[in-house]
Amino acid sequence: MEIKTVGVAGTLESSDIQIMVSAGQNGIEIDLESEVAKSYGDQIKKVITDTLKKFGIENAKVKATDKGALDCVIAARTLAAAQRATETTDKPRLEVLQ
Amino acid sequence: MDKTVELFLTLPETKKRWQKFLISQGINNFSSREVAVIDHTVGLIDEDGQLVGTGSIAGNVLKYIAVSNDASVQGARFNQIVSALEEYLFSQKIYHSFVFTKAKYSASFSHLNFKELAHTDEAAFLESGTPNIQDFLAKIPRIEDQNHKKVAAIVMNANPFTLGHQALVKLASSENDLVYVFVVATDASLFKTSERMELVKKGTSEYPNVLVISGGDYLVSQSTFPAYFLKSPDELIATQTEIDALIFKNTIAPKLAIKKRYLGTEPFSRTTNFYNQSLKNTLSPKIDVEIVKRFCNNDQIITATRVRQLIKSNNLKDISNLVPTTTFDFINKNYQILQERIKKGMNINGN
Repeated sequence: MEIKTVGVAGTLESSDIQIMVSAGQNGIEIDLESEVAKSYGDQIKKVITDTLKKFGIENAKVKATDKGALDCVIAARTLAAAQRATETTDKPRLEVLQ
Repeated sequence: MDKTVELFLTLPETKKRWQKFLISQGINNFSSREVAVIDHTVGLIDEDGQLVGTGSIAGNVLKYIAVSNDASVQGARFNQIVSALEEYLFSQKIYHSFVFTKAKYSASFSHLNFKELAHTDEAAFLESGTPNIQDFLAKIPRIEDQNHKKVAAIVMNANPFTLGHQALVKLASSENDLVYVFVVATDASLFKTSERMELVKKGTSEYPNVLVISGGDYLVSQSTFPAYFLKSPDELIATQTEIDALIFKNTIAPKLAIKKRYLGTEPFSRTTNFYNQSLKNTLSPKIDVEIVKRFCNNDQIITATRVRQLIKSNNLKDISNLVPTTTFDFINKNYQILQERIKKGMNINGN
């Protein structure tokens, strides 16, 4: 999947996560800000990486600002940001979330 | 739950209410210079219909952010405001933003993934989004084994590129292995940014170890300096120059192995002199700062200000003594366009 622009989804409010996806060259690079990064940082990054790979993105820069989002929220926001970055929002790929 | 609404400051009643709220939160500067540039303002309304938070956007800068002091919800309201502002920016396809704030609020922005670029005792300057300063630096060309070479930098607006600029570049070129010439990217001068870039490139083409680079958002960029919370112009200049110098010292210079910075004196500009002094104070001793005296041609001090005045007063002949032929050819060819810009009100006496 080619990243054509910057894609953002989510907010900075409690229980949410804001994901910004832009083009990258060195695999999936995640810059994560989270109060719970120490305990859950690896898990949050794994959900983001898995979702992007399942969607078909191998290289991307991701900025993630977590405010205590559950895994299902993280995956949904990641998918939305990825679809916006690849300009494919006309064909929602909801199966990625399963 | 508080509701996010758009505030239309063009409505006098709304503006009054907005201003009253900000004053109650300790923000007092509503000079037209700061307020006129606002593109978008959001407000946070609580269940009783009271304004409990607000924030604005000017270009890609977050401004006038305040939330009520109710400690239990302050953080949530702050996040909601910044979130609403970012949502607006994203809708405008702006994915890179700045905030210039009091140092004590830096941490609040850091929690929202803003990265601090520099801070003084009073103020902090942060950025968010993409491309960031690391992306900016990664794109700058390098030479082989750069970390062990003598690398210097010059920052100039070059409005336009004069023999004085050229002499400064020549000096730096002769004393170093590599010289970065950063051209101010803010488009607020008589000569447009693309024109200034081109004339610097042409005027330095004979020096093979000189690289001309856009200063981007990080080297003397005017747009990133809202100053509404600072009391006086002097204080503003001091803070602005210190932040600028710190970004250069802490991030730009180490990454590019820049060990020396050349500055030209500016006999007619108080701001430039202030800036030079501040740079020297902040950068030394880590970075060698050389302030070079203004170059003269037949006892006439060469400044771009003088060139602009001569364009205005229709004195093409005298300009040829102040600029290289590359710049002169450009002025000669675009004489009418430049004069029209001045007539339309372009200030020529600034920097």
